[in-house]
Amino acid sequence: MTLENVLLVSAALFAIGIYGAVSRRSVISVIMSLELMFNAVIIAAVGFARFTPAAALLSGDPLTAEAVRSALTGHAFAIFVAAVAAGEAALAFALVFAMYRSKETVEITEASELRN
Amino acid sequence: MEVSTLTSVAFWIVSAVILGLAVIVVTQQNVYRAAIALAGTFLGVGILYFILSAEFVGVVQILVYVGAISVLLAFAVMFIQDVTTGSRPSQGRAVGGTMAALLFAALVFASYNSDWTSIDSITDETARAALTDGFVEVGEGDNLIVAAPGLVDADSPIVENDGVLVNSTGPLGVLLTREYVLAFEVIGLLLVAALLGGLLLMRDPENEEAEA
Repeated sequence: MTLENVLLVSAALFAIGIYGAVSRRSVISVIMSLELMFNAVIIAAVGFARFTPAAALLSGDPLTAEAVRSALTGHAFAIFVAAVAAGEAALAFALVFAMYRSKETVEITEASELRN
Repeated sequence: MEVSTLTSVAFWIVSAVILGLAVIVVTQQNVYRAAIALAGTFLGVGILYFILSAEFVGVVQILVYVGAISVLLAFAVMFIQDVTTGSRPSQGRAVGGTMAALLFAALVFASYNSDWTSIDSITDETARAALTDGFVEVGEGDNLIVAAPGLVDADSPIVENDGVLVNSTGPLGVLLTREYVLAFEVIGLLLVAALLGGLLLMRDPENEEAEA
C-alpha cells in the first residue's frame, strides 16, 4: 500500500463514476454516480494526508503545534467535501421529486424541456 | 514508508470489493439493487479510511453516507415508480466508456510519474523526531510549544508510526475550530441554504393554492 496505490483506487472509482454519470438514463442513477465520484475525491485527500508530510514540516521553521496539526489538513478537507456532498444530495433529490411531479418520469433526456 | 503486510492485504481486498460494487452500481438495470450496492460501496470506503488511519473521517463516512444518503436514496427509489429504466443506448455507453478510460489512464499516469514528497524529505531533525517518536503540545493559548512525550501528561496530539497522528480526532477538532473556523461556519450556512432550497423545491404550488 503506497500513495500511488491509493490514487489508483481513487482514479478507478472516479472513472467508474464518470462512466455511470454519462451512460445512465435515470436521474437517480446519475446522482449515485456523482456520489461515487465524491467518494473517489475523498479517498485521494485521505491518501495524501496519510502518505505525504505537511508543507509546514518541510520548511525547516521552528516546530509548532499548528505545524504538526497541519498533517491533518487532508482529513479536514475530506470532512468539508462530505458536508458539501450531503447538501448536494438533499438538493438533488428535491430536484428529482420536482421533476417527477411535473413530468411523471425520471428519464434524464426529458430534463431538457424542464420548465416551471 | 513501510506499511505492514496485513494492512496492505486488507487494503487490496477492501479496494477490490469497493470497485466491484461500484461497477454493479453503474451497470445494474434495477435501480433499487444499484442503491443497495452503493450503500455497500460507501461502507467499504469507510473501512478504507480506517485502514488509512483516518478514524474520524471513517466514522463520518459511515454516519453521513451509509446512514443518511443511502437511506435518502432508498426512499427516493421507493417513492418514484418507474425507476427500473436501464442505461442509455450503446452510443451513450461508448462515449461514457471512452471518457472513463481516458480519464483513468491520465490520472494513473500522473500519479505514478509524479515525485511525491515522502517523510524522508523532512530534513529538520526536530520535525522528523516529532513525527516518528511522538509529540506533545505543552502550554496554553498562544504559548503552545512542541515537546517530547513524557514531559507532561497532556492529552494533546501524539504523532508516531511514520508520521501518522495517533488519536487524530482531538487534533482534528482543534484544526476545524481554530485554523478552519471560517470554512466550518460557511459549511453550516451552506447546509442550511441547501435544506431550505430543497424544501422550496419540494413545495407543491397547486396544492397550496387549493388550501388557501
